[in-house]
Amino acid sequence: MWPILPLLGLIIGVYLGSNFSYQLPPIYIKYMSIAVLASLDSVFGGIKAVLKNTFDGAILLTGFFTNALLAALLAYLGDRLGVDLYYAAIFAFGVRIFQNLASIRHHVITSFRAKRTSARGEKSD
Amino acid sequence: MRKFILPLTIVCIISGFFLAFQLKIQTNNTNFDAVSQKSANLINVIQALEKEIEKQEDQIESMRNQLNKIQNQNNRGKLQDLQQELLRAKIDAGLTSVIGKGIVITLDDNKEGLNAAPNDDPNKYIIHYEHILNMVNELKIGGAEAIAVNGQRLVTTSEIRCVGNLILVNMTRIAPPFVISAIGSPKLMLESISLGQLELLKSAHYPISVEEKEELIIPAYKGELQFKSAVSI
Repeated sequence: MWPILPLLGLIIGVYLGSNFSYQLPPIYIKYMSIAVLASLDSVFGGIKAVLKNTFDGAILLTGFFTNALLAALLAYLGDRLGVDLYYAAIFAFGVRIFQNLASIRHHVITSFRAKRTSARGEKSD
Repeated sequence: MRKFILPLTIVCIISGFFLAFQLKIQTNNTNFDAVSQKSANLINVIQALEKEIEKQEDQIESMRNQLNKIQNQNNRGKLQDLQQELLRAKIDAGLTSVIGKGIVITLDDNKEGLNAAPNDDPNKYIIHYEHILNMVNELKIGGAEAIAVNGQRLVTTSEIRCVGNLILVNMTRIAPPFVISAIGSPKLMLESISLGQLELLKSAHYPISVEEKEELIIPAYKGELQFKSAVSI
């Protein structure tokens, strides 16, 4: 039952975003892309934490905002310095998303196997 | 197991929002890269400034017309001589539209030549500011009394200069095809350019046409004409 509410949230978010008619100045599109990655990273991080039973709402939310802010700051600094530092943020978020996905997969598979073997064990007994 | 639902929902809402918004932006403008964005912004700034200049030039023109009207109203006695002198001075300065016989030269980039030899240096096939400048000089040698390039009247302070891939005349951007109109003796002017620039450009296969006209109108100079340092002695 538990994934229904976040999933509903995602749908609501998509609905809001597609109806949001603000003309973003083209210079800030770069920052938007970082925000997308930061939020995706938080979602996968949160799911992973739920599966591992280490979930903490405060850590998730503060992590999301500080990561996004830090990334935006990096991108801004990079703009000023003429170095594309925002690639660093994209890279970091990308790697983290993959890692989170990998550990979610591991967890799901191992728990699934554990269930099956325990079910079999019960039958054979 | 319930405590994670609210924070995770919040994060999901935000990320859904960002995802959809970003998708919308990306589908709206396909030419997304920092450089083109920056130059697009600069182009906007330039276009806004050019519009402002145009507006102010129109203002100058309308004020000059108003001044002329007022001056023409008191057109009696001694004042009349002074008015005529003023008119002469204005014609000399290029502040009035003038009409007369003359020639119109139309220059354009040699696009066919460039298409035929796409690997060649394109600089060899486009009209450069020197071509126009030389042509204007030769027209002056041929006794041209009033010259305009793409509608920009040449006066004492006019420049013909190259800025990147554009040509500026009277601080206004002009683009090919370039139309140089000149009032004066068509025969003399034709002789003058035939010995020089016209022949050169023709031999380089630029599309070029020269027309003689009985009645040619050349517009007035619209810009500012002020002498701040120079004083008459």
